[in-house]
Amino acid sequence: MSATLTFLGIESSCDDTAAAIVRHTPGQPAEILAEAVLGQAALHAGFGGVVPEIAARAHAERLDLCAEDVLGRAGLGLGDLDGVAVTAGPGLIGGVLAGVMFAKGLAATAGLPLVGVNHLAGHALTPRLTDGVNFPYLVLIASGGHCQFVLVEGAERFHRLGGTIDDAPGEAFDKVARHLGLGAGGGPAVEAAARTGDPARFDLPRPLLDRPGCDLSFSGLKTAVLRATETMGGPGAIGPQARADLCAAFQAAVADVLGAKARAALAAAGETAGGVGVFAAAGGVAANGAVRATLGAAAAASGVRFVVPPARLCTDNGAMIAWAGIERFRAGARDGMDLAARPRWPLDDRQAGMLGSGRKGPKA
Amino acid sequence: MAPDGPLILGFDTSGPWCCAALVAGPRVLASAHEEIAIGQAERLMPMLEAVLAEGGANWRDLAAVGVGTGPGNFTGVRIAVAAARGIALGLGVPAIGVGLLEARAEGLARPLAVIEDARRGEVYLQEFGLGADEGPRLCDLSDLAPLLGAVALAGSAAGAAAALTGGAVLPPALPLGVAVARIAAARLGTNQPRPAPLYLRAPDARPQPAGA
Repeated sequence: MSATLTFLGIESSCDDTAAAIVRHTPGQPAEILAEAVLGQAALHAGFGGVVPEIAARAHAERLDLCAEDVLGRAGLGLGDLDGVAVTAGPGLIGGVLAGVMFAKGLAATAGLPLVGVNHLAGHALTPRLTDGVNFPYLVLIASGGHCQFVLVEGAERFHRLGGTIDDAPGEAFDKVARHLGLGAGGGPAVEAAARTGDPARFDLPRPLLDRPGCDLSFSGLKTAVLRATETMGGPGAIGPQARADLCAAFQAAVADVLGAKARAALAAAGETAGGVGVFAAAGGVAANGAVRATLGAAAAASGVRFVVPPARLCTDNGAMIAWAGIERFRAGARDGMDLAARPRWPLDDRQAGMLGSGRKGPKA
Repeated sequence: MAPDGPLILGFDTSGPWCCAALVAGPRVLASAHEEIAIGQAERLMPMLEAVLAEGGANWRDLAAVGVGTGPGNFTGVRIAVAAARGIALGLGVPAIGVGLLEARAEGLARPLAVIEDARRGEVYLQEFGLGADEGPRLCDLSDLAPLLGAVALAGSAAGAAAALTGGAVLPPALPLGVAVARIAAARLGTNQPRPAPLYLRAPDARPQPAGA
């Protein structure tokens, strides 16, 4: 298939309602014609995290507004589209369901193909949207809910080389920010505080660096920050400098761990795929400057090009879903009106799950 | 347009069911109802397409869709409302929200109180023809007797309510999908907001103190 494709992408798997329209002609760079993200930070403030029911309620009443917004700003009608792509998982099921049902209603009535997209595939394929990267390449998806090194071999072929065995790094950033009174969704707040901090003042652990492979752990690191705070009398008792030093030490530890494991993942990619030309980062944690620096250094040490999409395309967005939809569509994928929303959906389904089990199946 | 009136597709997934009906004025061209507690998200759109086909219609023939907005199962209500909003955008026709309790009352004589189970010893209540229409609300099952007296009752919890109030229990006059489509048809041409779920209950979440 060599035709130009224009897809609407819909994303509602966490606390951002997003839509975008992406157009691509083979052999040319992809174009984002319009994009919109309606965040929900204010709705969840004070609850200590994203409340699934609050998120689902907001998504259900905003998806159509978002889609209309991007169609209007792109100056396109539904007849100008070639398909509708929607996040069908993994994520908070109420929001995913709202998105999937909205997309089904729209696709069925507009006579457009429907393509369900794995949210993680959206992140993993973003380097192709932004930089036209060729398969295979290595990507680190690091966000509030996920952390894994994935060898991307094709639009629907993902090989997980390693991942977190407990928390995601973004989750650790959020918990540290909240603990230190920096507010919710605190990755950027931690980074800002760390700017005036001394990363050497607190000796925090680098979990799993003593082990081979590219699995990671962030739960113990988060606990170490909490413990260091308690020894100083608790979060209310520490001054701004100690807080900045703690943020700097925590951020440096996360960056060190991700950088070191990126080297291991690049080595593993060399063995598995005979080497990759590109190492890319995606997910909200890739927006952190210190993390980007260690990841970039790991890429440079391996002689590999380092690609980081712009921050707005690292965090949740509709463009990555539209793009992944175009990629899946070109690979022949079409979904029916019985498309299911999946709370858990490992990107690499050819390997045994490494995180979570039970009725819902593995998380990653 | 169908000879009997504008074509309206009504549907509802606010409880452990998936139902739909295609109406044209007084005529019911097709309808379907399945008792399913899970899998509504996979079932709804195929059911709508089957009902349209059975009624000899296409999506493009519709003048509007009517969608059940609850109160009921939060996720179930969102399944139908989100689909309805997608359909409305796709067709450029209105999606009209219809409450579950008014749909239960459709076609029944007034005065009437519709009672639906809300669990936790509570019910959703809406009164019809009993003075000021207050709309649907949440109340304790034990408060019904002083509130309603012996007025006729309908709805899934009418039996439990009747044991307390002594009111007569009326069976539904219409299948739910048909009732939703009929009420939507009556509202067609009036200024209607986009359909939104009627929760009547706040999300189950407690604010967390900072530093927790």
